Amino acid sequence: MEQIMNETMSKYFNPETTASIKVMEGTHAASQAVKLARVKVISAYPITPQTSIVEKLSELCASGEIDAEFIKVESEHSAMASVVGAESAGVRSFTATSSQGLALMHEILHWAAGARLPIVMVNVNRALAPAWNIWVEQTDSLAQRDTGWIQFYCESNQEVLDMVLQAYRLAEQVMLPVMINLDAFFLSHTSEPVALPKQELVDQFLPPYNPKYKMELEGGHAFGGLAMPDSYMELRYKMQKSMEEAERLIPIVAEEYDHIIGRHHGTFLENYRVADADYLLMTSGTISGTSRIVVDSYREKGIKLGMIKVRTFRPFPTKAIREAVKNAKKVGVIDRNISFGQSGIFFSEAKAALYNAEHRPLMNGYVAGLGGRDVTPETISEIVDHLIASEKGQDLIWIGVKK
Amino acid sequence: MSDIMDLKNDQTLMAISTGDMSWNKTGSWRYMRPLYENKIPPCTVGCPAHEKIPQYFALVKEKKYKEAWETILPDNPMPGVTGRVCYHPCENVCNRGEYDETIAIHNMERFVADQNLDNHIPEYLVSKEKREEKVAIIGSGPAGLSAAYQLVRQGFKVTVFESANEAGGMLRIGIPSYRLPREILDKEIDDIKRLGVEIRAGITIGKDLPLSNLQKNFDAVLIAVGAYKSWGMQIPGEELKGIRSGLDYLKQYNLQEQATTGKNVVVVGGGNTAIDTARSALRMGAEKVTIVYRRSRAEMPAVPEEIEDAKKEGVQFVFLANPIAFHGNGSVQEVELIKMELGEPDKSGRRRPNPVKGSEYRIEADQVLLAIGEVPDLEFTEGQFKLLHDRLNLDNGQMTSQKGIFACGDAANGPIGTVVDAIATGHRAATAIGQYLRNGKVALNGKMESGVPFDTINLDYFVNEPRPKEQQHHPETLKENFEEVNLGITIEDALNEANRCFSCGTCTYCDNCLIFCPDVAIHLDPVKHEYIIDYDYCKGCGVCVHECPRNAMAFEEELKWNK
Ligand SMILES: Cc1cc2nc3c(=O)[nH]c(=O)nc-3n(C[C@H](O)[C@H](O)[C@H](O)COP(=O)(O)OP(=O)(O)OC[C@H]3O[C@@H](n4cnc5c(N)ncnc54)[C@H](O)[C@@H]3O)c2cc1C
Ligand code: SF4
Ligand code: SF4
Ligand code: SF4
Repeated sequence: MEQIMNETMSKYFNPETTASIKVMEGTHAASQAVKLARVKVISAYPITPQTSIVEKLSELCASGEIDAEFIKVESEHSAMASVVGAESAGVRSFTATSSQGLALMHEILHWAAGARLPIVMVNVNRALAPAWNIWVEQTDSLAQRDTGWIQFYCESNQEVLDMVLQAYRLAEQVMLPVMINLDAFFLSHTSEPVALPKQELVDQFLPPYNPKYKMELEGGHAFGGLAMPDSYMELRYKMQKSMEEAERLIPIVAEEYDHIIGRHHGTFLENYRVADADYLLMTSGTISGTSRIVVDSYREKGIKLGMIKVRTFRPFPTKAIREAVKNAKKVGVIDRNISFGQSGIFFSEAKAALYNAEHRPLMNGYVAGLGGRDVTPETISEIVDHLIASEKGQDLIWIGVKK
Repeated sequence: MSDIMDLKNDQTLMAISTGDMSWNKTGSWRYMRPLYENKIPPCTVGCPAHEKIPQYFALVKEKKYKEAWETILPDNPMPGVTGRVCYHPCENVCNRGEYDETIAIHNMERFVADQNLDNHIPEYLVSKEKREEKVAIIGSGPAGLSAAYQLVRQGFKVTVFESANEAGGMLRIGIPSYRLPREILDKEIDDIKRLGVEIRAGITIGKDLPLSNLQKNFDAVLIAVGAYKSWGMQIPGEELKGIRSGLDYLKQYNLQEQATTGKNVVVVGGGNTAIDTARSALRMGAEKVTIVYRRSRAEMPAVPEEIEDAKKEGVQFVFLANPIAFHGNGSVQEVELIKMELGEPDKSGRRRPNPVKGSEYRIEADQVLLAIGEVPDLEFTEGQFKLLHDRLNLDNGQMTSQKGIFACGDAANGPIGTVVDAIATGHRAATAIGQYLRNGKVALNGKMESGVPFDTINLDYFVNEPRPKEQQHHPETLKENFEEVNLGITIEDALNEANRCFSCGTCTYCDNCLIFCPDVAIHLDPVKHEYIIDYDYCKGCGVCVHECPRNAMAFEEELKWNK
C-alpha cells in the first residue's frame, strides 16, 4: 500500500490509521461509515440517488457484517419514526434519504430534534418535484432549516465517511440529530478512493452510545409528554443552547478525529486563499472543487480571488464568516438552491450574519446549477467577472437561465 | 456524554416524567373495546362435519401430526376416508380463494390421516361415564358408523346391524378402491370398533330380524340404511340383457371382485356414480366406455377433478343426449338417443334439458349401466313412517315420525348424497339420541353461522403462493389395475399449506397485537396460553384489532360493556 501512495496521498490517507483504501461511490462511503460506527438500528426507504446507501447496508446486515436490525418500512415518515423509536430506546441508529423523502420526514424531523435524539441521517441533495428531477440541488435539506437538525455539507466521498463518524460523536454529546449532505451523482454516484479507518481507532474515537435517559421496561418514564406554557419555552431555549454547544464542539470533534484517525476537513468553513483576497466566492458542496480551480486561475492573472467553502449550515457559522470576510471588498455567494420570493438560501443567511458585523463587504447572490445543471469553470468565471464589475450589491442574479 | 440531562434538578433536555405512568389508567379514555376472541372460519362452516381446520393446521405447522389428527377426530372419525373422497365443500368457501387459490383442505386432511395409520383413536376421546342404555343402528355406512362412534364416546352401548358381510356401506360397496384403498377404510372402521362398537354384519333388518325386534330390545333405534334402490328409466327395451344399474355393477365388483363387463359400455348419468361406473368398467376390461348425459358438461353434478380423471383415462362423453329406447335381440345392441337442448333453469337451478324433435339416432353398446340416481329401500319399515321425496321425514331432532326411532345419512331427508353429510348427520343423530335417552327431550343446535368474512383478513401479512398439486398415478394399462390414483401431497407441501392458510378468526400466537399495542396493554398468559388485554390501560385505539392478520380480535363499543 505504501508503494502506490505518493506523498500527498499518504498525507490524506494516513497508512497508520487506515485499514484499507477502496474506490467507492459516495453512497457506499456513507454505508461503510455506518458499519464503522457500529450502528444498531437502520431504517430507510429507498429513493434515487440515496438507494445504493440502503442497498449496501441491507447487504451488510444480511451478511452479518453489520450487527444491526434493519427495519423495512413503507415510507420515509416511517423510516424516521423507526429510528426515533430506536434512539428513544437508547440505541445508535441511522437513516438516509433524499429530496421528496426528506420532505415527507419533515414532521418527524421536528420530533427527533425536540426529543433530543442524536440520530444521524445522510441526505443526498436532490431537486424537488415537480418537474421530476433526480439531480443535485440543495433546496431539500435547506428547507429543513428550522427543524433543529445540525447540518453538514460535504465535498468528497472521504469527507462523507469521516463526517458520518464525527456526526455521531457530536450528536451524542449535544443530543441533537445531525444531517450529512452530499450532492446527488457528483458525489453519490462518483467513485473516488476512500480510506476506511481501522475499526479499533474508530471505536476509540466513538465510544458506545449510552444515553442517560432511555425508554426501558424497568422504572419507566413517559417521554415527550405535555409541557405547559410555563415550561415549554425553556425546552426550546435548551435546544438553542445545545446548538451553541455544537458550535463550540465542532472544532473539537474535528481535532479529536484528526488526532486519532489523522484527517481534518476543516470546521465551519474551509478558507481557500482568503487571507489577502479582495474578492471572495462563497460555495458549498461540489461546486467548491470547481471554484478552487477558478480561484487559482484568477490568482495567476494577479486578481486576488479567494473562496469560502461553507461546511455547516446549522449551527450557522456567523462568527467564522465575519472573520473570513473581514478584509474582503466583495463577496459572491453561489447557491445551488433557492427560497422562492427571496434569494439563494446561503446568500440570505450569510448576508444576515454580516448585518451586525463591523465590516460589511458588498454582497451578490448568484443562483446557479439548479436541478443538476453543470456549474463549469466558465460559469464560475462569469460569476467572478460579474462580481468584480459590480458597484452595488444584488440579492438575486440568475446564472445561465435560458431566456 | 452530556450531563445537561438531569431529572432531579428539572434540567432534562426534553419532557420526561419523573416516575412511571402506571397511575395514569388510560383505560378510562376508551370508548371502543378490543376483545381477544377467536371466531369461526368459513371452512369450518362449509365442512358439514365442522372440522376445526385452522386448529389442526396449527399443529401440522409444528409437525404435531398426532395431535392434529386428534383435533379432527371429535368431529370426524374417518379423515383418511374423507380426505380422499369428500367433495370438500369446505374449499368452496375458503377465504384464501378470494386472494389466490383455496387451501387444499382435503389434501391436508388426508395427509394428517396418513401420518397416523399406526395410531388408534385415543381412549381419552371416550367418556369415562358408562351408560346402560342400548342403541341399535341399522346400516354401517358413514352415517351409521359416525353415529355409533359418537354414541360410544358418550358412553352408550351400540350395536350396528349391517346386511352386507362387511361394514362400510357405500364406502365399500360403491366407491371403487382406486379412489379409496380398502386398507384405509378397514383401518378407520377398525379404529371405531376398537372403542367397543359391536357390528353385526350379514343381518338384514326386515329379512333376518324385524324392526320391531330392535324397538323392543333397544332404548333407541337409528336408521342409516343409505339409498340403494336405483331408478329405472321406464323406456322400451330396458329389460334386455346387458342393462343393469351401475350401482349394482359396482357393488358386485366391490364385494365379489368380478362383474360381467361388455366391450362397448354405455353409462347413463352425470353424477359421481356414473363416473365411478365408467372408470371401473375400463378397469374391468371394457374397450370403450361412453357416458351419456342429458345436459352439458357444465351441469354435470360430478366433481370436475373426477370428470378430468375419467377423460384422462379414456372415458368418452356424449352430452345433451338421452336414451329413449334400447334395441337388441335378447341382449342390448343399440341405444337410441335423442338430442337435447337446454331451456329455462329448473328447481335445481340447472337448465332443464328438452328433447329436440326428430333428432333421434343410435349408438352401439353391448352393455348399458344406469346411474341416474338412487332412493332408499325402506321396505323393512312396512310403511310405518312418514316420508318426504321417498326418504324418511325427520323433525329438527333427527327423529322420524316414530318416537325413539331416529334416522340419518342418505336414508333420510336433510343434507344427503355425500360421505361427509352422512358423517355430520350421524353425529347430529348421536347427539339427539344422547339427549333423548338422558332427558327425553331433544334440542339440537341450529345451523352454524357464516364464518369470518374475507374482507376482515389483513392481507398485508400474506403473499401470493400457489396451491399444491396433488400427485397422481395413472397406470399405463388400466385393465385390472385398481391401484390408488390420487397420491396426496408431500410433507413440504403440507407444511407450506398450513402456513398459507390465513387461519381465519383463529389466533396463531403471531404476537402482532402484543407488539403493536402502543400502551403495552396486551400480555400472553403463559398458563392459559391466551392473550390478556389489560383494560386498565387499553385506551381502545384499535391498532391490535387492525394488525391482527386474521380477525381473532373483535372491537365493540364500550357502552355495551358499561351497562
Ligand atoms: C358409486 C358411488 C360413489 C360415491 N362417491 C362419493 C364420493 O366420492 N364422495 C362422497 O362424499 N360421496 C360419494 N358417494 C355418496 C356416498 O357414498 C353416500 O352419500 C354415503 O355413503 C351415504 O352414507 P349412508 O351411511 O347414509 O349410507 P350408505 O353408505 O349407503 O350405507 C348404508 C348401509 O346400510 C346397509 N343397509 C341397508 N339396508 C339395510 C337393512 N335393511 N339392514 C341392514 N343394513 C342395511 C347397507 O348395506 C349399507 O352398508 C358415492 C356414492 C356412490 C353410489
Ligand atoms: S370432511 Fe370434507 S368438507 Fe370437511 S374438511 Fe374434510 S374435505 Fe373438507
Ligand atoms: S384460509 Fe384457512 S382458515 Fe380461512 S377459510 Fe381457508 S382453510 Fe379456513
Ligand atoms: S392496541 Fe392496545 S390500546 Fe389499542 S385497542 Fe389494542 S389493547 Fe387497546
